[in-house]
Amino acid sequence: MTRNPARIAVLAAGGVLLLSALAAGGAAATHARAASGPIKIGISLSLSGDFSDPGKAAQRGYKLWAKVANAKGGVLGRKVQLIIRDDTSSPTQAATNYQTLITRDKVDLVFGPFSTLLSAPSAAVASRYGYAFIEPAGGGPAIFDEKLHNVFFTQPAPVVQSADVFAKFLLSLPASQRPKSASYPALDDPFASPIADRVRSLLEKAHVKTTYKTIYPSEGTDMGPVIQKVASGHPDAVIAGTQSVDAYALVKAMVQQKFNPKFVFLSNGANNPAEFPSKVGAKNVNGIFSTGDWFPQAKNPGNPAFVAAYQKTYGAGAIDPGSAEAYAAGQVVEAVAAKIHSIDNKKIISTLHTGSWPTVEGVLRWNSVGEPQGSDLLVEWINGKMYPVYPPKIALHKPVVPKPAWGK
Amino acid sequence: MHQVVQAVILGLLIGGVYALMASGLTLVFGIMKVINVAQGALVILAAYLSYALFSHLHVDPFLSILIVTPAMFVLGVTVQLVFVRSLRGPDAPELSLLVTWALALGIEGVLSVIFNTTYRVSNPSYADRSWDLFGYQVSVVRAFAFLASAILLGLLSLLLTRSRFGRAVRATVQNPTAATLLGVDANRVQTLSFGLGVSLAAAAGAVYGVIYPFNPGSHYDLISRLLSIVVLGGLGSLGGAVVAALAMGVIQAVVAVEFSPTWSAFSFFVVLLTFLLLRPQGIFGVRERTL
Repeated sequence: MTRNPARIAVLAAGGVLLLSALAAGGAAATHARAASGPIKIGISLSLSGDFSDPGKAAQRGYKLWAKVANAKGGVLGRKVQLIIRDDTSSPTQAATNYQTLITRDKVDLVFGPFSTLLSAPSAAVASRYGYAFIEPAGGGPAIFDEKLHNVFFTQPAPVVQSADVFAKFLLSLPASQRPKSASYPALDDPFASPIADRVRSLLEKAHVKTTYKTIYPSEGTDMGPVIQKVASGHPDAVIAGTQSVDAYALVKAMVQQKFNPKFVFLSNGANNPAEFPSKVGAKNVNGIFSTGDWFPQAKNPGNPAFVAAYQKTYGAGAIDPGSAEAYAAGQVVEAVAAKIHSIDNKKIISTLHTGSWPTVEGVLRWNSVGEPQGSDLLVEWINGKMYPVYPPKIALHKPVVPKPAWGK
Repeated sequence: MHQVVQAVILGLLIGGVYALMASGLTLVFGIMKVINVAQGALVILAAYLSYALFSHLHVDPFLSILIVTPAMFVLGVTVQLVFVRSLRGPDAPELSLLVTWALALGIEGVLSVIFNTTYRVSNPSYADRSWDLFGYQVSVVRAFAFLASAILLGLLSLLLTRSRFGRAVRATVQNPTAATLLGVDANRVQTLSFGLGVSLAAAAGAVYGVIYPFNPGSHYDLISRLLSIVVLGGLGSLGGAVVAALAMGVIQAVVAVEFSPTWSAFSFFVVLLTFLLLRPQGIFGVRERTL
């Protein structure tokens, strides 16, 4: 039998039409559902696999929000019920889970999974069924490049812009303290190297000389030679696009090579209070800058109550920002439902594109593709603790420059 | 020049640790024709054991070698007896590849459940120290790691050349049939050698956990490096594995400093492929004769 291309094309087109019809039917079914019983919110989370740690942090945040909201009588007088499915850290499974949550579990709303990798395909599924996709952890270019109008990222800034605040801080310093030169090692990762690139372009415009820039591969890179090369240019600042393990290795290599520049900025890895000190040695953290989207001490709307409820429920240990981000997704729904007296997804989407929304992550606003319009906070390790230090209005400590010696 | 010398020092120190890991892999292949693709996972398992001893009982990671190595030897012997020995027939080497890969995934799964997926590293008090030798920085931890590897490889070499077991091992590598005819218990040699190979992974793992942060998934990267080291050195050749590992360390460090870290892993493969085109049996490998 020979294959007829025209026939295949017709079949494919038919298939697509059928799928769209089903999708439209699904969307229509959602809108037609009676407003009684609990509000069902569907979430796919990485409860096993590579992202299980951050996945569980998000789960704690979501569950805490549901508990707090239900204690107050729920949303619009209806109890909140979370339906959580494990995606085993797989993007395909996440997309399948949202399909199941929407079509079979018939949830009223959905919240996002962990990380851009899983959020991007999931957001597309939600968009197809007309669901708002309020998501706490997908802040990378892959999700905003899809140009979906149902996405709302519940952090203050998109990931690639997260370090702009460090450039602003450096340029706010008096000329005598400002770095004259900088070196930019960065991980080959969409969440790392674009961050360093943006800071570099901002600083080069301000005549901060670039002594070296490089991209190192993700797995098993020995940071010894990388730091050796960075140190040979004697830069005033090392501004690194990092994730986690490479950030730790980078600090250890700097310590071992006795290379102590005036400024060290790590885009990620250094902003995790639960992990960073134990990985690089508690004495080596001081003076290192990073950025963060959330702090336990922040005065953001509902934050003190969130921290108190978290500690009451889960104990007094360090709170993963991932829990706060997930909690913020719940706050957004609560606020928008109160405003429009409805949980209709179409209305939610159009309403969230206007105005500003108070959450533990700050007061959030989004552009048409869901990129938040705020700015992350600059943090610095001072006396073994991480403090927000810039912009001044949120600072809990004055920035310490230049960086003290390693081990001090 | 200063840059290159410093890079060579860094590369040699790290190459020594890879040599230790690869030695177990090449030894097992030489004797049993089994490519133990779980070697990387076993290194990571040992790194976790050493980490647990360090963080809970404050056992120094280098001293923990004395505890982790015998424990992992027992594990290796058990694995060989239960999974590997039962594989018979002409397909045994290929089947062993699948069996050891399953073992690697099993170890990864168990470690993920017990320790989660966050990165760990053992940070002893001397982790930050380095010596200044003629203007070159030598990290104390890396120097210790290199030294520990050198001592263990020296002991392994003594074991293989000076002991009755070593003679039996070498005889089995050269000609298994003749060795059996001369009274060598091939099964026993294979089981003990597998255990030895795993305990070498164990020692290397304890050292690895001080130098690099690791998580249960770190073994994928490790095994690809180890296999290329063993192939460059010549499958089954201990000396070859050591030379290849040091070469890998130095090439990658020098390329990272002089060109870019992006090309450092690639450059080693260029050397590997060029070398294999010119000398397919590897550095010290023996070309197999066919009739």
